[in-house]
Amino acid sequence: MLQYFNPKQQDFDKDYGTPASVSENLITLEIDGVSITVPEGTSVLRAAAEADINIPKLCASDNLEAFGSCRICAVEIEGRRGTPASCTTPAEAGMKVTTQNKRLGKLRRNIMELYISDHPLDCLTCPANGNCELQDVAGEVGLREVRYGFSGENHLQAEKDHSNPYFSFDPSKCIVCSRCVRACSEVQGTFALTIDGRGFDSKVSPGQNQDFLDSECVSCGACVQACPTSTLMEKSVIEIGQPEHSVVTTCAYCGVGCQFKAEMKGSEVIRMVPYKGGQANHGHSCVKGRFAFGYATHEDRITKPMIRDSIDQPWQEVSWDEALSFAASKLRGIQDKYGRESIGGITSSRCTNEETYLVQKLIRAAFGNNNTDTCARVCHSPTGYGLKTTLGESAGTQTFDSVMHADAIMVIGANPTDAHPVFGSLLKKRLRQGAKLIVADPRRIDLVKSPHVETNHHLTLRPGSNVAFINAMAHVIMDEGLEDQAFIAERCETEAFNAWRNFISEKRHSPENTESITGIPAAELRSAARIYANAKNAAIYYGLGVTEHSQGSSMVMGIANLALATGNIGREGVGVNPLRGQNNVQGSCDMGSFPHELPGYQHVSDDIVRARFESAWGVTLDNEPGLRIPNMFDAALDGTYKGMYCQGEDIAQSDPNTNHVQAALRSLECLVVQDIFLNETAKFAHVFLPGSSFLEKDGTFTNAERRINRVRKVMPPLAGLQDWEATQALSNALGYPMNYSHPSEIMDEIAQLAPTFSNVSYERLDQLGSIQWPCNELAPDGTPTMHEESFPIGKGHFAITEYVATEERSTRKYPLLLTTGRILSQYNVGAQTRRTENQIWHDDDVLELHPQDAEDRGINNGDWVGIASRAGETVMRAKLSGRMQPGVVYTTFHHPHSGANVVTTDNSDWATNCPEYKVTAVQAVKVTEPSDWQQRYREFNQKQLGYLDKARLNQESVVTGK
Amino acid sequence: MANHQLTSLIRMANQIAANNTHIGDETAEAEMIANHLTKFWARSMKQQIAEYLNQGGDELSPIARKAIGIMSR
Ligand code: SF4
Ligand code: SF4
Ligand code: SF4
Ligand code: FES
Repeated sequence: MLQYFNPKQQDFDKDYGTPASVSENLITLEIDGVSITVPEGTSVLRAAAEADINIPKLCASDNLEAFGSCRICAVEIEGRRGTPASCTTPAEAGMKVTTQNKRLGKLRRNIMELYISDHPLDCLTCPANGNCELQDVAGEVGLREVRYGFSGENHLQAEKDHSNPYFSFDPSKCIVCSRCVRACSEVQGTFALTIDGRGFDSKVSPGQNQDFLDSECVSCGACVQACPTSTLMEKSVIEIGQPEHSVVTTCAYCGVGCQFKAEMKGSEVIRMVPYKGGQANHGHSCVKGRFAFGYATHEDRITKPMIRDSIDQPWQEVSWDEALSFAASKLRGIQDKYGRESIGGITSSRCTNEETYLVQKLIRAAFGNNNTDTCARVCHSPTGYGLKTTLGESAGTQTFDSVMHADAIMVIGANPTDAHPVFGSLLKKRLRQGAKLIVADPRRIDLVKSPHVETNHHLTLRPGSNVAFINAMAHVIMDEGLEDQAFIAERCETEAFNAWRNFISEKRHSPENTESITGIPAAELRSAARIYANAKNAAIYYGLGVTEHSQGSSMVMGIANLALATGNIGREGVGVNPLRGQNNVQGSCDMGSFPHELPGYQHVSDDIVRARFESAWGVTLDNEPGLRIPNMFDAALDGTYKGMYCQGEDIAQSDPNTNHVQAALRSLECLVVQDIFLNETAKFAHVFLPGSSFLEKDGTFTNAERRINRVRKVMPPLAGLQDWEATQALSNALGYPMNYSHPSEIMDEIAQLAPTFSNVSYERLDQLGSIQWPCNELAPDGTPTMHEESFPIGKGHFAITEYVATEERSTRKYPLLLTTGRILSQYNVGAQTRRTENQIWHDDDVLELHPQDAEDRGINNGDWVGIASRAGETVMRAKLSGRMQPGVVYTTFHHPHSGANVVTTDNSDWATNCPEYKVTAVQAVKVTEPSDWQQRYREFNQKQLGYLDKARLNQESVVTGK
Repeated sequence: MANHQLTSLIRMANQIAANNTHIGDETAEAEMIANHLTKFWARSMKQQIAEYLNQGGDELSPIARKAIGIMSR
């Protein structure tokens, strides 16, 4: 007998109509005479689809709960009356189903006829032509005539809404299947859409009959993807037409690591459709990944290498060979003059693992020192330090999906709906199912007020008091005997635990005693601690609000202590989960970007480790750590650090204390920048190597769940070389040979040298879709959940985390505390998103402040305000906001001219030098003109853009022979 | 001449010390701090701070001094 069902063999391009059931009980039924075995809870529609019996459907889609409104999926079931909808009918053992016969055919044609009588018949010119489910179903049911004519009342003249920059809404095509409404609520969790009115009058409407742009809509595009007709349609498809082929690749924005089908026409991307097989996103995405890819072909892309002797000279476009030998001879010249340690480099958290690996290899092997660092320094270096110390591995412990098993969720210093939107949606889904939520954040993030989500506690702690807060949480747990003694006894170091217990039990850590530091009422903190400790599964998610502090590392350890003390480690639904900022922050750390660690977090002083690398790389390696980014800047100002290779990072904008950073960059004799745009850092460069976007290369990114995802080239690199090829050519020019012909060979080398990667290969990645490291002999398919049986360091280590107040505190002169963050539509320094239509949502950085603070200073909404700290001053527009607590102000750093980082200081985490972006004492005053810094910035920027134009003009005159 | 690096190094050393002085055993604490410096600081940074200690190390906290002493043994 024929048997179907094998979830592993799911076809991710097929819509099975209803979600898969996770039940382990299998049942067998018969559909059209075929015997089919499926998990209990599977719909008849899906059971049939799994056997490739495709019942027509309109309102059903396998990422949405069945709704049963269109009735086109009607079937006959032996022994039952009528024709039940197969999408809402669960399959039962022994059922006998008929999906096609005369009666059903007639019924379906009748339904279809009604739909079509109110639907324009302009199929040939419709943008969905070639990809329309309504058309398909009309074909399947054999609709041949529409008896009602089109003269009756209809919706054909309904007005279109083009307000969203990426998609249009044409209600005349709507069949009111409500897939969009359900996608917005069930998948995205925004609840922006409703069906307005009843019966014939019912129509889809964003918000209170608003435009899409003015509504709550966050432009995730889930509704567009769900729409079976052309009602909701990407503007790119309307303009260019349906794509003709597609390639699966990975988003290059945030650390969620969503997979997409890049749908192409030739070498042009028409649209990005979230891939159902993507194991981090399961077919969902946010506005950035789905829509904001236009920067890749923006006219600002630089596609020719350029050089110049000084930053006060125009650029000169040259060949790759010339640029690379210019760079190589400058860098070697500096080393000859100032010594081997006088140069270094910065790897990128946006480039691929393979590219990052090559850059650090070039630095260690060709430069001959360990002066390599990465922008993870300024975001998650404390995560690496803190988790390695306590749990033994520098990475989060779970999969994203694990959140669906959590009963209590604590979000600390993270803003998932803006910074990690697809995870944010999953989290909200779990919260709607009833998981408890504790948010610890100085600001009222969106999550606190999301629809159908109840926040049990929003702890509005004062910026800079994190460690006092987490210690108080731990104190309550020990004080009230809520710890998991069995877990501690079995899984943790006894001596360290005893020392920690003595420390944390001291009364000075009690919430009552720390209330004056944290600002959190003791009773509320106690209640939150009880929720966390008493939940069957409790999970912590945290972001840069934890790490970017002078005690970032202590806070990470404090979080790990809490998880260890309550036994919330080592299974699904629990864990310590850092939400990583950029797409490949995890990967750049894994790949040995830090000055003290070789790939796979292996310390440079370990002779055995070094020997393996030395024999593979054919060089002697330095056994001392190199300089970190801030140390590089200091050394540059002191004149001992003179040359730098910087790939895909914009340190001039992203790093704190801009004045200091720019002075350091100015003092370099040779700065080589590799990027897709002339970013802020490149304005201080002597060599510009044009980079390739994620669409132009092969490689891998590793997301925040340690998941290695493939990045696939969909178009040729605009500048001729993928980034890894340029690094390889630079290395060869420096006299250290590299000869890779494909990134897969680089991955093979990584697998050979990093024990946690030993079973990773492109072949395995293609087979499995993605792999979560560690992946080696012990875990050949990877490790979704870490520390299930033991820790890499054997036992969990409780670390003593004393609260030490930051030196940055509010004073008479600087009475406010500034904290910084991100918003949904922009990404990091904004170099990419500012060059897309996402600008419509956030075209400038603003200063958010509490109405009381504004009133005290005579500041109104929209006024220019000067923000001054001891590091510098800048000017932005004010935005009054009840999200803020009095005394705390907030901004973002997506736009270079707003100069948020002119104000941030060089205070940093004690263990890792991760900057204290989240706490700067400032004053805000109403002003009438931009700051001095901004005026200088404008002039400098103009000058540098002029130097770029000159290069382009010169090149044209060479070409035209003038 | 302003010495940017040394100013930062002193601050960093004091900060590392301040964050590791709560085990209750000063020698163990100094060992821990020294270990941190050895593990994470670049050669040139260690040299500069050791030299500074040799010249008196006025701005270093007592525990930082002890740790740097151990580090440069
Ligand atoms: S784009 Fe996303 S948020 Fe906006 S209406 Fe559609 S599903 Fe909802
Ligand atoms: S807009 Fe599309 S998905 Fe929404 S109800 Fe209309 S046809 Fe269905
Ligand atoms: S930015 Fe993040 S959440 Fe959005 S699509 Fe890309 S990876 Fe997914
Ligand atoms: S697909 Fe089943 S009722 Fe619409």
